[in-house]
Amino acid sequence: MTTEVLDEELRDCFQELSNIAVGRAANLLARLLNNFVIMPIPVVNLLERSELSMALSSIADAQSVSAVCQGFTGSKIAGEALLIFNDASFSDMAELTQFKGEISEQIELELLMDIANILIGACLKGLSEQIDVSFSQGQPYLLGQHINIDELMNRNGSSWKRLLTIELPYKLEGRNVNCDLLLLFTEDSLSVLRDKVSYLLE
Amino acid sequence: MSVPLLVVDDSSFARKQVIRALPKGWDVEVSQAGDGEEALALIREGKGEVVLLDLTMPVMDGFAVLEAIKAQDLPAIVIVISGDIQPEAEARVMKLGALAFIKKPLDPDQLRQTLTDFGIYSV
Repeated sequence: MTTEVLDEELRDCFQELSNIAVGRAANLLARLLNNFVIMPIPVVNLLERSELSMALSSIADAQSVSAVCQGFTGSKIAGEALLIFNDASFSDMAELTQFKGEISEQIELELLMDIANILIGACLKGLSEQIDVSFSQGQPYLLGQHINIDELMNRNGSSWKRLLTIELPYKLEGRNVNCDLLLLFTEDSLSVLRDKVSYLLE
Repeated sequence: MSVPLLVVDDSSFARKQVIRALPKGWDVEVSQAGDGEEALALIREGKGEVVLLDLTMPVMDGFAVLEAIKAQDLPAIVIVISGDIQPEAEARVMKLGALAFIKKPLDPDQLRQTLTDFGIYSV
């Protein structure tokens, strides 16, 4: 089996395609929350699974996080989307969604699922349209609430050794809301993706 | 005389796409910048009479570039080309003095039309 490499040209191309996709997702989030979203600069890497938690630059400092995971496949591309929330974000999130009352774990879960549906769906759609594939998405499921990043990564049980990762750290302007959308692709998907974007790189 | 045109985007792939989308036969001298600071330096050197500007960039983003152009009264006409399609992003760049806002992925026809509408390019 050959080992895939991610050269600079391809990394740059994925970064730009992601940038356009996250723009659409940011627009939907901004409308939902009526708050300006600071656009993330996508971080694209090819990593060993063991390096993943260290690579999560933007949310690594968070002591406690909650996350959902959703798989997707299509056109021989397979991956997972993880939405990771810094738990410190939930009080501002609840305020923005006009929620009044005590923020229980159940309320946090609902917020997390709602945001995940919007961000993951819009982002995958934005990506897939640009490379002319269609992804079918699995059911989103909770990876954990109030856990630390290392524990989270252990729970994300997929056995892929090396991964193409696209990290999208969203922030809301003037708010203490930090969340990371992480798109993980299998190593095998990389060669398919390379073919799909080759016409753009000519 | 050729027009000094500056293409600003952190992605070299995106810059290539913008340059490829320029109207054929338009007499321009193209310079490129990968972030806002580089862009401002080139504008000061007179290499950015017309600027095609991305917003989401490291070091210094497009909003900050527009602010600096306005504050320092630099001679640059700016068209923003961005994936940040929040209506608020467009409103902000127009307020900061951008001439127009074009959404990514860039449509070459829309770019040509915008350049024509503002008399920057003519056949």
